[in-house]
Amino acid sequence: MTPEEIAQRFVAQFGDGVETDLSYDMATVTVPRERYADAAEFAKVTRGLDLTFFDMMAGVDEAEAGFSVVMHLYSPIHNHHVLLRTTAPRENPTVPTCTGVFRGANWHERETWEMFGIVFDGHPNLVKLLLNDEFEGHPLRKEFQLASRVVKPWPGAKEPGEGGHE
Amino acid sequence: MGLSDQLDVPQPIKFVLNWGRKYSLWVFNFGLACCAIEFIATSMAEHDFMRLGVIPFAHGPRQADLMVVSGTLTDKMAPAVKRLYEQMPEPKYVISMGSCANCGGPYWDSYSVTKGVDQIIPVDVYVPGCPPRPEALLQGIITLQTKIQNESLKEKYQRETAGAPA
Repeated sequence: MTPEEIAQRFVAQFGDGVETDLSYDMATVTVPRERYADAAEFAKVTRGLDLTFFDMMAGVDEAEAGFSVVMHLYSPIHNHHVLLRTTAPRENPTVPTCTGVFRGANWHERETWEMFGIVFDGHPNLVKLLLNDEFEGHPLRKEFQLASRVVKPWPGAKEPGEGGHE
Repeated sequence: MGLSDQLDVPQPIKFVLNWGRKYSLWVFNFGLACCAIEFIATSMAEHDFMRLGVIPFAHGPRQADLMVVSGTLTDKMAPAVKRLYEQMPEPKYVISMGSCANCGGPYWDSYSVTKGVDQIIPVDVYVPGCPPRPEALLQGIITLQTKIQNESLKEKYQRETAGAPA
């Protein structure tokens, strides 16, 4: 199935709340967060999509726009992919868990939770995965302060174009 | 350990004792990252640190004389390093291999990396490099052997009981 067709299937199922983007030969489908687990279920069980392989899940800090959760699904039958995405507001970053659809999402959601503070509603065991138990804060959030950087700021450019080089 | 750490051993006996100890270093590889690959290369045919009397590999920390911490130590891993170091029998030595184990290296501002293995266990020899070439580790081993040859176990344990770093 082409990326356009994959995106079309999600639009047909979930209606106007769905945004699609096509880049790098892959469809990125953004669904409302209440429908996130439903969309994962739909991707997995729908004949023709058969996106049964849960590859990975990650968070993105979008600053004022809140947080994104992105999961990459793959179909070993049809050799096609989709990036399934949702957004959550900064003040209440809650997303329904996908552990009921993909059991492998369990640890990915725990990691996303500890790194970004995105709460996965209904997760069976939302405790720290990689960080030690005493760790405070969510280190991949933009506002997270690195203690070493307070003492000695990063010596070079942080973003592309900042350092005066092209 | 025996009498040698309580009595002043006469110089000729001390020479023979230390000569024997320095050429029989059962090594325990605490491989944590890419430095471990260089460490393994050092143990293989081309560089072959067994010709210096470093014996790969101790079956566990309880059989080891030397621990080589090769790689990036994280705060999550740090308690395990400390525990395994404490399981090693005296007299024991530690080589810190590579920038990460020395001081955090390229992860100087990381939220999860311990800034040097010497923050949790005493280190005898630091091998710089990112990662160090096998020749550099061989040089570190020779440096450690020089240290062992010239040391007095009595003084070593008196210092350690007094709480000063070895």
